Amino acid sequence: MAWRIEKRAAGHGAAPWWTLPASFAMALAVGALIFALLGHNPVAAYGAMARGAVGSFYHFSEVLVRAIPLMLTGLAVALAATMLLWNIGCEGQLVWGGIAAAGVGLFVAPHLPEVLVLPAVILAGAAGGALWALIPAVLKAYLAVNEILSSLLLNYIAIIFMEHLYFGPWRNPEGFGFPGTAQIDEVARLPHWGATRVHLGLGLALVLALLLFGALRRTPWGYRVRVIGHNPQAARYAGFRLRRHVIGVMLLSGALAGLAGMAEVSGIHFRLQQGLAVGYGYDGIIVAWLARLNPLAVPFTALLLGALIVGGEQLQSSLHLPSSISMVLEAVLLFGLLLSEALARYRLVRRASAQPLRRQGEPTPP
Amino acid sequence: MTSSPPAVLELSGITKHFGDITANRAIDWSLNAGRIYALLGENGAGKSTLMSILAGRYQPDAGTIRRQGRTVRFQSPAQALAAGIGMVYQRFMLVAPLSVAENIRLHGAAGRSRSDRQGASIRELAVRYGLAVDPDALVQDLSMGERQRVEILKLLNRRADILIFDEPTAVLTHTEIAGLFEVFQRLRDEGKTIVFITHKLEEVMAVADEIAVMRRGRMVARLAAADVRSQHDLARLMVGREIILNVDKPPAAPGETVLAVSGLSGPAGSSRPGFEEIAFEVRRGEILAIIGVAGNGQEDLAAGLAGLTPLKTGRLTFKGRRWRAPQWGRKPHEGIAYIPADRDRTASVGAIDLVENFMLTQLAVFSRALRLDRRRAAAATAAAVERFAIRGGGLKAPAGNLSGGNLQKLVLARELARHPDLLLAEQPTQGLDVRATEAVWQALLHQRAASAVLLITGDLKEALSLADRIAVIFRGRILDTIAARDSAAIDRIKLLMAGLETG
Ligand SMILES: Nc1ncnc2c1ncn2[C@@H]1O[C@H](COP(=O)(O)OP(=O)(O)OP(=O)(O)O)[C@@H](O)[C@H]1O
Ligand SMILES: [Mg+2]
Repeated sequence: MAWRIEKRAAGHGAAPWWTLPASFAMALAVGALIFALLGHNPVAAYGAMARGAVGSFYHFSEVLVRAIPLMLTGLAVALAATMLLWNIGCEGQLVWGGIAAAGVGLFVAPHLPEVLVLPAVILAGAAGGALWALIPAVLKAYLAVNEILSSLLLNYIAIIFMEHLYFGPWRNPEGFGFPGTAQIDEVARLPHWGATRVHLGLGLALVLALLLFGALRRTPWGYRVRVIGHNPQAARYAGFRLRRHVIGVMLLSGALAGLAGMAEVSGIHFRLQQGLAVGYGYDGIIVAWLARLNPLAVPFTALLLGALIVGGEQLQSSLHLPSSISMVLEAVLLFGLLLSEALARYRLVRRASAQPLRRQGEPTPP
Repeated sequence: MTSSPPAVLELSGITKHFGDITANRAIDWSLNAGRIYALLGENGAGKSTLMSILAGRYQPDAGTIRRQGRTVRFQSPAQALAAGIGMVYQRFMLVAPLSVAENIRLHGAAGRSRSDRQGASIRELAVRYGLAVDPDALVQDLSMGERQRVEILKLLNRRADILIFDEPTAVLTHTEIAGLFEVFQRLRDEGKTIVFITHKLEEVMAVADEIAVMRRGRMVARLAAADVRSQHDLARLMVGREIILNVDKPPAAPGETVLAVSGLSGPAGSSRPGFEEIAFEVRRGEILAIIGVAGNGQEDLAAGLAGLTPLKTGRLTFKGRRWRAPQWGRKPHEGIAYIPADRDRTASVGAIDLVENFMLTQLAVFSRALRLDRRRAAAATAAAVERFAIRGGGLKAPAGNLSGGNLQKLVLARELARHPDLLLAEQPTQGLDVRATEAVWQALLHQRAASAVLLITGDLKEALSLADRIAVIFRGRILDTIAARDSAAIDRIKLLMAGLETG
C-alpha cells in the first residue's frame, strides 16, 4: 500500500472548506520563519501580535475600526469579481468617496437642515466612488479597455488630486500650515460606539454585506451578474445586456469603495488629510479572495486582516520590529490561499502503487 | 477469454463515482488489436466517463487497467497517450487561428522535429490513412469533418494505437460519416484498435466489429456485430424495450404566418460567407426544416434569426411587425425560443445548478418584482426532469455535471416551456439516445400545435419525420423548398444537399 497524490476530476464544485485554514497556517509558518530570521522568538512575536489585536477591549475595538473600510472595499472587489471584473481601483474610489464626503461636510452641510447632513455626506461618499469607477466602466464597456489597468492608474490620479486639495485650495487656513482641510462639523460625523473609535460605518458595512449577499443570490439582477461572470456567451444568448451590467456593477462597486472613504473621513479623521489612502483599497482584494467572493464571509475575513494589521503595529512598539511586517504576513496569507487552492485540485489516495506504463523510446510526459 | 490474441487493453472492475452517482460500476472489458468497437448506451449510462478513464482524464476509484498484460495507471491524458491511447473528444481541442501542422506539432512532444519534416510526415500519415487535409490550412477554415481528421492525425502522429472517439459522427454530414468509417477500417486493417461512442444504430451495423452496451453505469452486453441481426435487437439491449423511432405526424393545420423573411443575408461584419438571399415563411402549426450539410450557412442563419449575430440585408416580418435586417438583432424578441447547437457554452452555464439553468431564458417568468421565485422554478425544473427523464445528480447539481444528452434534454425542455410563437431548434436531437430522440420528436410535433417551428438540422431522417416542408440550404442559399409528403423528393433532397442539383 502506498499514498499517492492524484488530480481530482474536473468538477464544478466549490473548493473544499480547508483552503482558508490551510492558507492561514501556511502564513503563520512562513511568518514564524521571518521572525526567527529577524532574531525574534516566533512564539513571543505572535503572542505580542495577538495581545495587540485582541488583548483588550480597546485593542479589539481598533481591529473593528480597521475592519470597517476593509469590509467595504472587500465587498466592492467581491461584487465586481463575481462578474469577472477586476476592480483594482478601490483605492482611488475610496479617495474620491473621502473627497466627496469631506466636500459636502465642509461646504454643503452649513446650508442643509441638520437631519439631512449625515445622509448627504454618506450619499456623497458613495457617489464620489461610483463616479470615479464610471471611468474604467465606460472604457471597458464601450472601448474594451482592460479595467485592471485603467482602474489601477486612476488610483494615482485620485491620490494626487486629493493631495492637491488639502495642500492647496481646501487647506485649513487656521491649520498652522498643517496639510489637511478643516474639520467637518459634529453633525456631519458618523456616531461612535461609546468611547471607542468604532463608528456607524460598521453597521452600514454589515447591512450592506447582507444586502449584497441577498441581492446576488435572490434577485434577477444578481442572477444575471452571476451568469455573466460564469459564462458571458450564455448571458448573451439569454439576452442579458452585458454593457449595462458592466457599468452598473462597476458603479456599485465604486460606491462601496467610496463609502469606505466616506467612513474614514466622517468616522475617523473628520477631515481630508494624509493617511486616508493607506491601502485599504488594495487590501480589499485580499479580503474578497479570502472570502471566496462571498459577501457574507467578507466581514470575517476583513476582521482577520484588521487583526493582522493592528497586531503588526503592536510589534513595532513592543518588539521594535518594522510595522511593515504585517504587510509581509498579508502577502504570505494571499500566497498561502492561492497555493492551497492549487493543492485542492489534488487529493491523496491510498492504493497499491503501480507505475504508469511507458513505451520504450517514448519521451517522458510532462 | 477464448483463444483470440492477447488483449491490447483489459479493464477489470472499473468503478467511478461522482459524489452519490456511480457513473461506472465494476466494468470488465477487453479490447483487441485490429477491431472496431462501438460503445452504446442511454444518455448518462457512463460511456464518456469510461472512455475518459481509458484516456487518462479521470482516474477510476476501483479496478485496474492492463495494457498488453501490464497494469497501468494514468494520471493524465499525456500519460495515456504515451502508452498509445488517444481520445478525440466531441468538442474538438484545436487552436483555430493556427495551421493544421502547427496544431499537430503543438500536440506532439516538445522540441521534436523541425517544421518542414513535420509537414512531410503529416502528409505521409494523411495519405496512408486517407485523412486528406492540407497541413498549411488554418484550422478555422476547416469543416467539422476536416477538423476531426486533424484530431486523428494528432493522435497518429504520437503513435497512438488505441483511438477513442466520443460521438464522432454527431457533427458530421452523411458523406463525412462514410469517409470517417473508411478511415476507421483502414486503421483497423493496420492493426489499430478503434472505440467509438454512438447513438445511431445504423452506424453500429455499418462499421463495428464488436458491440458493447452500457446501462446505468454497468456494462450489460458485449457481443460480436456479426451476431446482431437487426437494429431492433440493439435497441432492445440499449433501453430494455424496442424502439423504432417512428412518430405519428398528423397533417399540419397551418395558421397565421409568424415569421417571413426575404432577401436575408449575413452575418454582418464577418469575413465568413454566411448566407445570402434567404427567403421563407413559417406559420403557426407547421414545422419548416432547413436541412443542409454542416457548414453551409445554416449555423449563421440560426444565430442571426435568434438575434445573436447581426444580419446584413433583407427584411423580416415577425408577428405582423416589419423589421429591416440591421435592426433585427438590436433587442431580444419576445416570443422566440432558440435551442442552439452548442449546448455547453451557449445554452447553459456549467457552474450553476439545474434549476438556475432552467431560469436562464425565463427570468421574467421566474421572478416576482425584485425576487427570484426559486420555488416555482424548482417545480418547473422537476416537471421537465420528469417529462424528459433527465438523469444525473438532481436539481441542485451543477449543470456541467450532466452527461451530454441529459444537458441537451434540459435545454430543450426549457425552451419548450416558454411556449414561444417561434421555436428555432438547431440540431435538437444531437447526442440523444433513441428513447430521448423519440421523446423530443414527439415534443416538437406537439409544440407545432402552438408555435411555428423552424427546425435546422443535418439529419434527413429527422427532417422527414418532423417537417411539413423542407428547405435545402447549400453554400448559404436555399436551393428549393419541398413538401415533406412528397416521398419521391427524398432523393432530390440528397442531391440538393450535396450541391449536385440546382434548385
Ligand atoms: N464531472 C462529473 N461530475 C459529476 N457527475 C458526473 C460528471 N461527469 C459525469 N457525471 C455523471 O455520471 C453519469 C455518466 O455520465 P457520462 O457523461 O459518462 O454519460 P454518457 O453515457 O456519456 O451519456 P451521454 O450519452 O448523454 O453523453 C451521469 O449521470 C453524469 O451526470
Ligand atoms: Mg457522453
